[in-house]
Amino acid sequence: MKKPYDGYMGKVLFVDLTNRTHSLYPWTDADRRRTLGGKVMAADILLRHIQFGMQAFDEDNWIVVTTGPLTGCGCPNSSRFNISTISPLTGILTSSNCGGDFGLWLKRCGYDAVIFTGKSKTPVTVSITHNDVVFVDASSLWGMTTTETQERLPRRSGKLVIGPAGEHKVLYACVFSGERTAGRGGVGAVFGDKKLKAVTAFGTSLPDVRDREKLRNTNEKWVRTLKTHPLTGRQLPKLGTAGLIAPMQAHSILATKNFSAGRFDGFEKICGEELAEKHLVRNAACTTCAIRCARMVKVDDKIVKGPELEILGLLGANILNDDIEKIIRWNYVLDELGMDSISAAGTVAFAMELKEKGVRDFGLEFGKTDNIEEMFHKIAYREGDGDILADGSRKMSERFGGKEYAIHAKGMELAAYEPRHAVGHGLGYATANRGGCHLNAGYMVVVEGLGLDVDSLTPHGKAALAIMFQNLMEAVSAGGECLFTSYAVLPGFLIDKPNWPLTKIILAAFPYVGPVVNLLSHFTKAAKINIPLLPESYAIKYATGIPSTMGAMLTWGAYGYNTERIANIILGQKADADQLPKRLTDEAQNPDDPRTKVPLDKMKKVYNRARGWKNGVPTWHRLKTLGVPITREVYDAAVKEAYR
Amino acid sequence: MANVTVKLFGVFRVDTHTPSIALQAEKLKDVFPALQDKLGQLDSGLQFKDATVYINGESCKKKSRALQDGDEIWLLSPASGG
Repeated sequence: MKKPYDGYMGKVLFVDLTNRTHSLYPWTDADRRRTLGGKVMAADILLRHIQFGMQAFDEDNWIVVTTGPLTGCGCPNSSRFNISTISPLTGILTSSNCGGDFGLWLKRCGYDAVIFTGKSKTPVTVSITHNDVVFVDASSLWGMTTTETQERLPRRSGKLVIGPAGEHKVLYACVFSGERTAGRGGVGAVFGDKKLKAVTAFGTSLPDVRDREKLRNTNEKWVRTLKTHPLTGRQLPKLGTAGLIAPMQAHSILATKNFSAGRFDGFEKICGEELAEKHLVRNAACTTCAIRCARMVKVDDKIVKGPELEILGLLGANILNDDIEKIIRWNYVLDELGMDSISAAGTVAFAMELKEKGVRDFGLEFGKTDNIEEMFHKIAYREGDGDILADGSRKMSERFGGKEYAIHAKGMELAAYEPRHAVGHGLGYATANRGGCHLNAGYMVVVEGLGLDVDSLTPHGKAALAIMFQNLMEAVSAGGECLFTSYAVLPGFLIDKPNWPLTKIILAAFPYVGPVVNLLSHFTKAAKINIPLLPESYAIKYATGIPSTMGAMLTWGAYGYNTERIANIILGQKADADQLPKRLTDEAQNPDDPRTKVPLDKMKKVYNRARGWKNGVPTWHRLKTLGVPITREVYDAAVKEAYR
Repeated sequence: MANVTVKLFGVFRVDTHTPSIALQAEKLKDVFPALQDKLGQLDSGLQFKDATVYINGESCKKKSRALQDGDEIWLLSPASGG
């Protein structure tokens, strides 16, 4: 009998680390159609499981590793997988996306997802195959770096590992698969708390697809689009994300000196062009990637993953360091220790400002770089002051003060984009479900100056655009796709021909299309069309048989965003928690131009109305319209707590 | 004619292997053909006149802008990432 949907393997593995047992988690075709997969699927699973007051290091906090239906179906850039859990850094859900090959291997074992619960008493590696799940003693791996650990696991398998930072429960520890990382929100600390040192997966299955011929045609066109688009076919392969440093400097959005400015005099020494000319050994790519944005560089005679934009900015301009060789080395050290470079760097910058303001001296100061590597080691092993920095900037500000310049949202340190010259991006940071994440934010900077030159200081239309991009990227991620593929949705001529009269007219009108975008975002099912600029939608239809359209994509996105949000409310997020540090909302970046701060309250009013939320809390009507699985009783109790 | 420095970023720099170049030009619009003459066509097909332009750190969209001695001109290509 024909399965209702192809593209999926049809099973979700449930692993109990306490009792060392495994079973199947019930997941139906209706669930697949409602959530698509990836982070939306994980949010749905976690919403059904979480309880009031549950915390990251509770035994029954689940780690949910999910794939999307396009993974394994031959689509470009489709090897992304997701890890969701309660974050120890923020206390709410985190969803951390990774480009390693573990997701593909997991599907080859016959599973769309794996859930981990419980805690092992001793270090353990969970080995997943077609027929079995084996719990292997990992005592000999405990203490090893991420590379050492992976070298000791079976070569022909997908791997998930943590490093020393995860073992010591650094609140922003991450998980590695190959050289790629599920970086944000501290998923590595939850692995460490469960003594889960590693997971391996080996299998040989592949998903069926619904219409192989049409999918092949779609994929061929899709690859052509990605390879010829100005962003995905030219800038990213040539310069990687590091190519953003110079445009960010120009647009005054390069976070500098703990986000006190948007430009750095030494930017030319740390920019992507410098990296490409003097340090790049070769490009690299995630499995199935057609873009190849990753940079490989040399450290200690080894060829290793090079720095991305985030670490170049946050360990460059943001701490007043213009030595790119040091950044390359720190990037390697952080990867080996298994730490999120964004949160680590943001926390270090905050510590530097605490010293500058005479609040607390951690031995770190702006422009001083000789002891930073040592501090990273101290953080990973929670030694000395490293134990304090291992808890992130929010907890440090609660202890020592400086909340107005502790640069985080909901406890997660902000990425390298200074939002006072890209106010829509600021709204995105504040409203992102997992905290100060640029991608979960909707990546508004791509239209506010970097890719398109839309007025970056006006609040007009930004709420509507942020919602549309947030929903769209949520759905792209749920399909198993790299978010960078979504940049190709922007027509190439708007990017390549910024001085054409037609481009200027379209860009000038961009901030005023809010009402139309709002309608699309609110009545997502109405957009029953597919557009060539969004090949994901065609691919989902031909891979799975699910009647995917642009409206369906926006619906999956809205469903995911609302599901994560109400889960966060149950986990204790308060009403009106969508905030930014006062430095970004109350102090103009340019004292002579009052527009250079984030008019957050003004934009949030529009945002909440368009989302169907009140003070950041989804209304009951909105959740029911989307079909989010929550009872009225739980909803009422959660909302009451949110306003307490 | 003003003596100016043009700094190239993004695809402009990678394709031409030229971080910066000194030029003489009266107006901004004169800079683009001068660059074309000195550096040739870009591998990627992008044209200098389509660059995002900053002069002395300020955005400049006027091609007729008169240049002055010592002006520093940045030419940038569009970018994205994450």
